[in-house]
Amino acid sequence: MEDREIVDLYWRRSDLAISETDKKYGRYCRTIAMNICGTKEDAEECVNDTWFRAWNRMPSERPTILSAFLGCITRNLAINTIKAKNRIKRGGGEAALALEELSECISDGKSPERVLEEKELEKLIERFTADLKETDKMIFVLRYWYLVPVSDIADKLQCSQGKVKSSLFRTRKKLREALQEEGLCWTH
Amino acid sequence: MLDALTLLRAMNGIHEEDVVMAGKLYFNENTARKTTKRLLTLALAAALLLALGAAAWAAWSIHISRQQDLRTDLKIEENNAGSYMEYDVTQQEKAGSAASLVLLSAVNDGEEERIYVDVSPVAKEDIARFPSDVRFAWSIAGTEIGGFAGPQLPVTLSLSGDEAIRKAVLEYAYDEETQTLTLQCYADVKFLKKAMADLDTDSVPLQMHMTVGENDSHTFGPVPFMLTEEQNRTFDFGHAQYHDEQLDKTIEIVGLELTPFSAVWKVRYEEAASFHAPGADPEAYRPWSMLEDRVCIDAKLIFSDGTEFSTGGALTCPYEDGVVRLHCGWGPAINIEDVQRIVLHGLVLWENT
Repeated sequence: MEDREIVDLYWRRSDLAISETDKKYGRYCRTIAMNICGTKEDAEECVNDTWFRAWNRMPSERPTILSAFLGCITRNLAINTIKAKNRIKRGGGEAALALEELSECISDGKSPERVLEEKELEKLIERFTADLKETDKMIFVLRYWYLVPVSDIADKLQCSQGKVKSSLFRTRKKLREALQEEGLCWTH
Repeated sequence: MLDALTLLRAMNGIHEEDVVMAGKLYFNENTARKTTKRLLTLALAAALLLALGAAAWAAWSIHISRQQDLRTDLKIEENNAGSYMEYDVTQQEKAGSAASLVLLSAVNDGEEERIYVDVSPVAKEDIARFPSDVRFAWSIAGTEIGGFAGPQLPVTLSLSGDEAIRKAVLEYAYDEETQTLTLQCYADVKFLKKAMADLDTDSVPLQMHMTVGENDSHTFGPVPFMLTEEQNRTFDFGHAQYHDEQLDKTIEIVGLELTPFSAVWKVRYEEAASFHAPGADPEAYRPWSMLEDRVCIDAKLIFSDGTEFSTGGALTCPYEDGVVRLHCGWGPAINIEDVQRIVLHGLVLWENT
C-alpha cells in the first residue's frame, strides 16, 4: 500500500491504519528500536507505542515522508526507554557505544556558555549534516540516527571498518568544532 | 547542559531525505552484498544527474563505465575478490575539486597497492605521442614518494610496437568526449606507509603527473587516498622437500602466501644466502635460479572445478631471515578460497582434507 493511502486510513480513523503500517514499516521501526534498546521486549513496546503515537498525531498532522515520521517517533521512544531504564552504560547495546563516541563532541566538565533549545540544536545538526560529503553523511546518519553497528555499516557500504571509523572520527571532530562555534563545548 | 544523550536526540534534526536514503541502504536486504556499493553509487549518480544535469553525467558515466570494465576485466565478482575497493565517483565529481583526478578503484595485493584512476583533460594529440614521448607517474604530495603509472589496458591484451599500444590506449583507456584517460599505478605498500608516517595521516594526497616531451608537465589532483585492506590466505607446507632430478638439487618449500592477485612462495636451499647476496654472479647460481622458477611456474593451484593455475615467474625474490620470498603477480583475480590442492609435479604440497 502506498504511504499516501496509509495516511488516508489514519485520517479516516480506519482500524486498518495500524495493521497496514505494521505490515509496511514494522520491520523498519523494530530494527531502529532494537538498535537503540538492545532488547526485543523494549523494542516491541516502542513499536507498539509508535503506532499509538502515530494514531494520535494524525489527522492533525499529515507526514510528508511516512517512514521518517514513524522512525523518528520510534527513535525518540527508544531513547526515552534506555534513559528511563538507566541502560546508558557500556554493554547496554549500540546506543551506549554511540553515546560514548558522541561524548567526544561535547563537554569537558565546564559549564556551557549557553544552553541551546532542543529545536535549535536540531537545526544546527540539520545545517551540519547538509554540508557533509555524501558518503560521510551516509555513515554519520547510519551510525547516529539508526544506531547501526560500525561492522554493519562497513558491510553495507562494502568498505573496511577502518574506513567507517575514520569517517566517523573526522565527522565528530567537525561536529565538535561546529558546537564550539555555538559556544556549546570547549577546547581542552 | 548538553550531554551525549541530548546530542543523540538532536540527530532528529537530520534532514528527512537523508534519513530515508540511509534507511533504504540499510534495510534493502534484497540487494546482493556484492552489489550494494554499485547500486549506491548508481543511486547517487542518478540523484546528482537530476540535480546538476546532463553535462556532469557524461563525466560520471565514463568513470562508472570504467569501474564496470575493471570489475569484469579483473574478474572481481566472478572470483569473489574481497580486497577490491571501489570508490564513489559521483561524490568525487560533486566535490568538484580543481583536481581532475578521480579514484576509480584499488586493490592491495600484499606488497603493492594497485590504484586505478581517471585523469582529465588529456588531449588526444598527447595520446598520439604515447609511449615514446609521454610519461605518466604518481606521487604523494608533500613527499618524495612516487612511481610510474601507465594507461590501463585489458589484462589479457598482448601488444607489440608503439603504434599498437597507441591504438589500444585510444580504444580501451581514453574517452575522447570527456578527454578522460584511465591510468593504473603500482604503489609499493611500504612506500605508501612511509608517506603516511611522514605526513602523520592515514589519508595521503595522491596526485598524478603527465609529462609530454621534455618540459610540458601536468599534475592531476591531489585526492585523499587510504591504503585498502589485503585479502590473503596462507598455506604451510610443513618444510616440504622438492628434488629436481634434472638439476640434481633439492629445495625446501616452506609455504605460500596467496592473495587474489599475487603470491609469495617461501623457499629455502643451501646456497640461498650467497646467491641473493649483493654482487653475486647469477650465472654461478643458475641451477638454483632455475629451481626457483620451477616452484613458481610449475607448481599448480587446483580449484574445485578441476581447473589449474600457475602463479608464473617471480617478479622479485628478496632473501629475508633465511628464506627466499618469490613474489609473483598476475592480472585477473583468482578465487583464493576455492584452492583445493597445490602440487609441484608429483609432490602434493597441500590438499584440502
